Amino acid sequence: MGDAMAYTRKDVSTLTAAEKRRFVNALLEVKRRGEYDEFVRMHIEYYVSDGEGGLRTAHMAPSFLPWHRRFLLELERALRRVDSSVTVPYWDWTRDRTTTSAPWTKDLLGGTGRRSDRQVTTGPFAYREGNWTLRENITDEEYLTRDLGRSADPIALPTRSDLERALADPVYDSSPWDSTVGKGFRNKLEGWGSGSGPTAWRNHNRVHRWVGGVMVGGASVNDPVFWMHHAFVDLCWSRWQRRHREHRYLPAKPPAAGSSQYRRIVARHEKLPPWDVTPDELEDHGRIYRYA
Amino acid sequence: MVISVGGAPVGGEPSAARTARGGPARSRRDLLLGLVGPAAVAVAFLPFAAVSRSLRAAEPPADVVFDETYRGRHIRGIRTSAAAAGRVLGDGGWQVTVDGRPLHLMRRADGTWLSMVDHYRSYATPLEAARAAVDELGPGQLRERGPEDMGGHDGGRDGVHA
Repeated sequence: MGDAMAYTRKDVSTLTAAEKRRFVNALLEVKRRGEYDEFVRMHIEYYVSDGEGGLRTAHMAPSFLPWHRRFLLELERALRRVDSSVTVPYWDWTRDRTTTSAPWTKDLLGGTGRRSDRQVTTGPFAYREGNWTLRENITDEEYLTRDLGRSADPIALPTRSDLERALADPVYDSSPWDSTVGKGFRNKLEGWGSGSGPTAWRNHNRVHRWVGGVMVGGASVNDPVFWMHHAFVDLCWSRWQRRHREHRYLPAKPPAAGSSQYRRIVARHEKLPPWDVTPDELEDHGRIYRYA
Repeated sequence: MVISVGGAPVGGEPSAARTARGGPARSRRDLLLGLVGPAAVAVAFLPFAAVSRSLRAAEPPADVVFDETYRGRHIRGIRTSAAAAGRVLGDGGWQVTVDGRPLHLMRRADGTWLSMVDHYRSYATPLEAARAAVDELGPGQLRERGPEDMGGHDGGRDGVHA
């Protein structure tokens, strides 16, 4: 596997001042061009819940991981059209766990929202800077919102051991391939639990909750931390693959006609809408990018 | 090169992608209620009073299931009698509003509910989901027509969603 052309995605806590500046500037330019809002719309469009009819690709399905891998590649390609030195950094929330650590600094994403309306007022994505007006949103608010740690009823980010419980499962995913499955790496990482207690959110879902504001809603892509979060989720998939080399994306074959999941999920060799690519083709990213 | 970074651009032709993948975008609820035509789309976009009126005219009628003030916000949930009789799937025929504006709900396979405002966990009932949405809204108001209504995966076109 050659890697001459592969670029590196870095831990966000290790970026230099110049790397942070270039990443931010590329994001602002993609936003200015109107491309960023297309990503927000697309994520809303492909979020299909499993209690309803229809094909699920982005969430509550085995293709949660390859769908977001491809989604990140599209954003990264848009960023690199602006500045070819830029890659999407990842936020390891098992390490950077406070409301003031990376990536919540003024030179990167800015901090939590203010108390009155949760509006982010620090950093380059603050509304008053004029460069980050939300056009695709669930509410009328045009400014970015956050409530890091859920101030009214604090919760913690997932821990290393929470993540380890997902990584330790050797099976990629299991029938019925939805948000109710208790076995398999995919849902343990995506994080659909049950009930209203601390198990209601795990890993990926819990991080959306911890950030709060737009990140916990359907328009979560509006917060640039979405990409850093999903880059780390993507890295976790790579780690799982290295640990369980004999295991692969499941299901290998589509559910049979008559099955409740018939035509509702994407099998290993089926096309993953909206792209002309299969989960099988997305399993190995080593020629495109590497994680440092 | 294993991953193709080319292919369809983001936001390119999602409608075409939906069409290409065929039938499953239309829910069984649509088929059961016959909600497959332009009339269904119109119903999905009408405000509550008009929805109530048109449902009364066309049968089945709508029932107000909850109507309360929660943390200063007016939350209301109605559903059709067909839903009450258990004859619909998917969103169960619910129309939920916060201060008169539609709150889009989705159903999970375990029967619980999530909203567009609080999208990464689910609640036992539409009322709990509506209250949780208010908890997350802060001072914000729902958009009269959210992005999901403007060509969402299947909600806007087929009226699948409340």
